[in-house]
Amino acid sequence: MSTSPASLKDFRERLATLGKQPESTAKLSDEERVRRAGNSFLRELTNGMAVDLETCIHCGMCAEACHFYEATQDERYTPAHKFDPLRRYYRREMSPMRWLFRPFTRKVDANDLREWQVLVYDACTGCGRCDMMCPMGINISELINVVRNGIASAGLAPKEIQALQDEQQNKNSLFGVGADKLRELIGQLKSRQIVIPLDKAKADVLVLTTAVDVLLFNDALAALAKIMNRSGANWTLSSAAFEAANMGLISGDTAAEAKAIRRIVEQAKAVGAKTVVIAESGHAYQALRWEGAEDTGAELPFEVLAASEFVAREFDAGRLKLKKAENGRSVSYHDPCRLGRHGGVYEEPRRLLDAMGIERRETDSSKRENYCCGGGCSEYVIARAAPLRQKAFEIKKREFDKAAADAVVTSCSNCRVNLMIGAENARWEKPIDSLMVTVAANLTD
Amino acid sequence: MTLLDFARGPGLQWSLIILIAGVLWRLGGTILLNARKDLSRPRHKGTLTDGLKVIATRSLPAHQFEKRIRFQHFSGYAWHIALFISVLFFAPHIFFFESLLGFGWPGLPNGIILATAAIAVAILIALLIRRASHPVQRLISNADDYISILLVIAPLVTGILAFAHVGARYPTLLAVHLLSVEAMFVWFPFGKLMHAALTFPSRFQAGASYGRKGVRA
Repeated sequence: MSTSPASLKDFRERLATLGKQPESTAKLSDEERVRRAGNSFLRELTNGMAVDLETCIHCGMCAEACHFYEATQDERYTPAHKFDPLRRYYRREMSPMRWLFRPFTRKVDANDLREWQVLVYDACTGCGRCDMMCPMGINISELINVVRNGIASAGLAPKEIQALQDEQQNKNSLFGVGADKLRELIGQLKSRQIVIPLDKAKADVLVLTTAVDVLLFNDALAALAKIMNRSGANWTLSSAAFEAANMGLISGDTAAEAKAIRRIVEQAKAVGAKTVVIAESGHAYQALRWEGAEDTGAELPFEVLAASEFVAREFDAGRLKLKKAENGRSVSYHDPCRLGRHGGVYEEPRRLLDAMGIERRETDSSKRENYCCGGGCSEYVIARAAPLRQKAFEIKKREFDKAAADAVVTSCSNCRVNLMIGAENARWEKPIDSLMVTVAANLTD
Repeated sequence: MTLLDFARGPGLQWSLIILIAGVLWRLGGTILLNARKDLSRPRHKGTLTDGLKVIATRSLPAHQFEKRIRFQHFSGYAWHIALFISVLFFAPHIFFFESLLGFGWPGLPNGIILATAAIAVAILIALLIRRASHPVQRLISNADDYISILLVIAPLVTGILAFAHVGARYPTLLAVHLLSVEAMFVWFPFGKLMHAALTFPSRFQAGASYGRKGVRA
């Protein structure tokens, strides 16, 4: 079972319906939106961020790290400009010099929030490449994320993202994928001798997947199941908490983010899981691995591993064996920003590719300097941003073309779908593969 | 009291008081805001080392970015170094520091000092023009950016004029030079010149927070 052009077409049609849903927060007054955004800034802003805001010297070098600026040369996409509403709020309301700064700093109003909605959602994927460039060491992506939080609190997240967040919060499903769809797919896979243990009472490992995998990348879910079974792990998927994606993290709604995290934590505790493995999803890894403890207020009672980390560990322990891939294939591995730069998972995917004897051809920018796929952090669901996204994709395409590998491999369904859409738009024939699918194809006894 | 008496006496005294009190106020007020404790299990322990490393390494841009920011990178280095040479190795400045600290150090020939000061001024003017004309920098700049750069240029220019005895009597030129330095001291805690104190904690926390995830910042 692999991803066909037909299923990608179906998924793209599904994406197109997201923006047509009624907005859930359309009735807020402008005053209320500004008040909510301000409260969010006040709540989220830490002393570390204040140091960063105070340190920015407006050199503008961060623009040179941003794929949206590079692709368009539009100065509004300068990362330091994207956190301007937070800077202004801080200077007026929180800075130790606010008594001096306030008369000279314009108040953030509702029109600013609307204008910055485009800058921080359409034109920022939170990839963090600018963080690596700033000579002052400012964590720019974190500051932009706080602006997103404020805009989401003001009810001004893009309607596609808001629709997905509402769906996850209210129905515990995404893209219409709930427990029923999951069961249906598991049934289909079972008929192909791929067994996914669902809702086991006790298991050492709780595996999370994503609606995108259920809908579009069945191959990646089937591959992960095959790998888990081969490793001999006592694992399960939970119908109550199978979704790894976290629309709260994406929209900036911290309450929604925490709610989705708590659902997973409760389920992991219920089955007694010592390990939670996250299917190929960068932002889901960031949400649970690096923000889950903060969201729940205590260290998580289990370890969180990205699929590639788990598989590399099993391989290292000798519980999984890999054969050399046929055909002398070469690949370029695309580092998902939230697994790599924001997550620290650089080496495991490369180690697995090496173990399969697959020639790795690194792009000019990789690892800490890797370019985003162009549609990360679910930017790819925002319909109006499609032309901008395509321009950013072209940067990736140029790098992949230069590396001249046979295929691109990544370990994030968001990156994979965005790269596939970009490739389809550009009539670019390069295969965009999943790391798990590649590993599963080369398992031996 | 002459202008020079004022500049050497209460002017210097008050500007230093404002400088020190302002820096402490701004640093303290920033650091005392809400702190957040990281609760997730670190991948890599060594926060202190990671933070210190980034304080050093962020002075050098990453290889991938170098070609795009070469002008800003090298011009930034050049004017800072030229400024420090002018401040620290001009013989009359060393006498002043000696009177404060009780010890001095060898100076550089006046010609070299004059040249470095002129280089610093030229670069700063180029950067000022760039800030006003480059679309990115123009968009993100505010009055502070321009005021700060002018207040750094002023002591260099007045210093050159005083050294060359050009434009007025020497005591007046010296007074204006001192007052321009004092203006910079007064502005320091309120504007972007504070980055001189804030860069280090900012870089440190970048190194520490990325480092605990196992990422070299």
